[in-house]
Formats: sequence, C-alpha cells, structure tokens
Amino acid sequence: MQINVDRTKCDNHGQCTFSAPTVFRLDEQGILQHETTADESLRHDVEEAADVCPAQAITVTD
Amino acid sequence: MSTDVAVPYLDISDPSFAMHSEAVRAARAQHWFARTNYGVAILRHEYVSKLLKDPRLRQGSGKWPDHNGVHSGLFYDWWTQCLLVLEGDDHHRIRRLLNPAFAPKHLEPFLPRFEALARELVNDFIDKGELEFVNDFAEPYATRVLCILLGIPESEWPTIARLASTIGLALGVTLKQDLGVVEDALEELYGYAENLIADRQANRGDDLVTTLVQANANGDSLSDSELRNALCLLIFGGMDTTRNQLGLGIMSYLHNPDQWELLAKHPELARNAVEEIMRTNPTTTWVTREAMVDFDYEDLRVTAGTTVHFFTQVSGTDPEAYPNPEIDITAERVPHYGFGGGMHHCLGHFVARADMAIALTALSERMTNLRISGKDEWLPDSGNTGPVRLPIGFDKR
Repeated sequence: MQINVDRTKCDNHGQCTFSAPTVFRLDEQGILQHETTADESLRHDVEEAADVCPAQAITVTD
Repeated sequence: MSTDVAVPYLDISDPSFAMHSEAVRAARAQHWFARTNYGVAILRHEYVSKLLKDPRLRQGSGKWPDHNGVHSGLFYDWWTQCLLVLEGDDHHRIRRLLNPAFAPKHLEPFLPRFEALARELVNDFIDKGELEFVNDFAEPYATRVLCILLGIPESEWPTIARLASTIGLALGVTLKQDLGVVEDALEELYGYAENLIADRQANRGDDLVTTLVQANANGDSLSDSELRNALCLLIFGGMDTTRNQLGLGIMSYLHNPDQWELLAKHPELARNAVEEIMRTNPTTTWVTREAMVDFDYEDLRVTAGTTVHFFTQVSGTDPEAYPNPEIDITAERVPHYGFGGGMHHCLGHFVARADMAIALTALSERMTNLRISGKDEWLPDSGNTGPVRLPIGFDKR
C-alpha cells in the first residue's frame, strides 16, 4: 500500500495521526511526517486517515 | 520582549469593537499580534497558520464555567468532559471514534435530502418577495439538517432549536444567572440523546447516530455517556453556527451582487462561495487557545495561562496571504481558519461546507436583487457573531 500526501493541500492539522499513529505523526515543528508505504494490515486505519483529513490531502494506492 | 515595533492594543470587550474596522486593519499592518484586554490576538495569516496548531497551546474554553463562577453541576460536568475541551489521549481517543462518521463518504447519502429541504423552505417564501432570513430560512434549515443527520423527525425541529439556543446562553458572560435554564435545557437534551441512542442500539437506522453507535477502533468504542455528550455537543455546536454563518453569508452576497449572479449562473462554484464567506465573514470571529507553558515566539513572550485569540476574519483578509482579499468565488485561495485548526479543527466542517453550499445554491437560483427591507439586528462582533433578525427583500427569478 502506497501513501501519498499532497503537500500543497496538507495544512498539518494532524487529524490523520489519530487514525493511524504509526504511519502519520507531527514532528516537533508541528509538520506532518509520514511513511510512504504501510503493511496491508494497516489499510483500514490509513484509509480512515485519508477519509477524515480536513484538507483531503491523503491518497492511498495499491 | 525585544522589539523595535510598537505592539498595538485592541479593546475587544468594547461593545462597539468591530473586526471589519480600520483600527483592526491598522493593527494588522503594524504588527503580527496585538495585546487585548483578554490576552493576545494573532492578526496575520502566516502566524495564525503556524501558532494555531502549536502543541504548547490548548483549547481555551475549558475553564469557561470556572471563570464565570460555575464549579459543579450538570452543565459543568458536561462541558468539562466534552470533546471541545478535552486534551491529550482522552481527546484523541474520542476524536478518533467520532471523526469517520463526519467524513464525506458518510455524508453523501444525506445531500439529496438537504437539497429537498432547501428547496421546500425557499418555495414557502419565494412568492412573497421578502423574508426574515433567520426565522424563515437559516434557523429551520440549520436545525432540520441536524434532524436529518441524527434521524430525529423533522417536525421536532422547533424543540431542538429551542434547546440548542438555550444551551447557547452558556457562552454568554451571564452564565451564572442563566445556569438554571441552561441546565433544564441540557437535561431535556440528554433525555433526547439517550432515547436516540437506545433506539439505534435496538434498531439500526441509516443515520449518524447509528454510525456512532457502531463506531469502533481496535476494539474500543464510545460508552453511552460519551456518545450522549457528543450528540449534545453536536446539536449545541452545529445549529447556532450554521444559522449564523448563513446569515453572514447572505449579507456578504447582498453587498456583492456580481458574485451572487455569478453563483446563480455557475452553481458548481457553490463550494467556493462557502469558502469565501467563511474566509471574509466568519461567524467564529476568533478561535481561542490558552498557553500551557511559558514560551517565546519571535518577539512575543507568552506565559502559561495566557489567552491567545486567533482572529479568523482578520487573518482571512490579510493582504500578505490574499493580495485581492475581496470575495471572489472563482479565485484559488490558501486555507482560511474559519473552522479553527489543528487537533481541535471543527468536527462538523464537512457537513457545514456541504449544507451551506446547497443552501446558497437553492437561494441564488431563485432570488436576485437582494436588499435589506427592514430593521436588522446583530450579535456583537466578539467570539460568535451573526444576525438575530435580518429582513431581506428580493426579486424572484
């Protein structure tokens, strides 16, 4: 599973970190850092993160 | 504080204080923050964007009851346990369980019903050539949208509107003297919410309450009281804000008739039309945070406990971020903070964005030549604003 965050849309609100905290996190400056791939077992959490993103900046592809 | 620049001062509790004023624009041109009688106000977009999400600030409403002499009781317990003021792991857990129910894919099935509602309300006044916008459109629309979402019979909307408005008194500085009626209303709303939850646990529906009853993350779910608290917050936070924002929105387009005509011709711009009123004329004129620790940010020294207000309309019309800040529903814009931001970003923003776009479409497709047709009354410009009474005349199209 590939994870892409459109940095022109992402506004670092951090809602994604609630759904998939092992994939998305805010660094000390409050900037979103994320894994670019994740295990299939995390699909539900990562897709939820994409669904709830206020800026709809996250896309998940196979 | 080491700075060569004088820091402006704004008296934000003065009843004549206005966000849309030369004094506030001059303060924003002078410096990125101002001192106020409540603490600090952040004025420029760049700094609102950065500081609003700063982890050294917490949501600023937690101590509201205490600040107003209320230290226990039904309202106190609800307020201090609701998502709005929770922080840290307690907040993240509840937020995670609530968030998916408000995602666009869950809202899609409700949109045709919002459209039918908007058209019904417009049909009721369209032949009269005028309406009192709050009573005849904004309040019934905002409340019935909530009824549709929660699976409450739409005929019960006046009760829901009354309870939400009464609990809204709790946001006023007269909280202590209003506490009796606020708690009666909250108790009645608790009963409503508890019945809804019990019913959806027994009979699945196609509403948001059913989605929340079933919400589950890694084996965790909302308890009945957590769900009840959340539903009350949703009704309390979802009705007034949408009603007020629609009133502010229609005023913005009344003053920008070319944009209104553009929207009527291009309903596909309705989402932008909502963003533009949220940016330039938001109901939530400031978003409140409170410093948890002492820290320095550039030339601003913040001490723990300081209130920090993020001025949404002022930052949303900052010429540094928006070189042509006037309403333009065709423009591409950087994000505004009319829905707040960070961990406490408005939970219901996808609902609000969708239902207001539908409302503006339904209104603009039937009404032109908007004008004020009587005496209008407005809430003050501090915190949450909007029209109390807004008579509008129009020509039918």
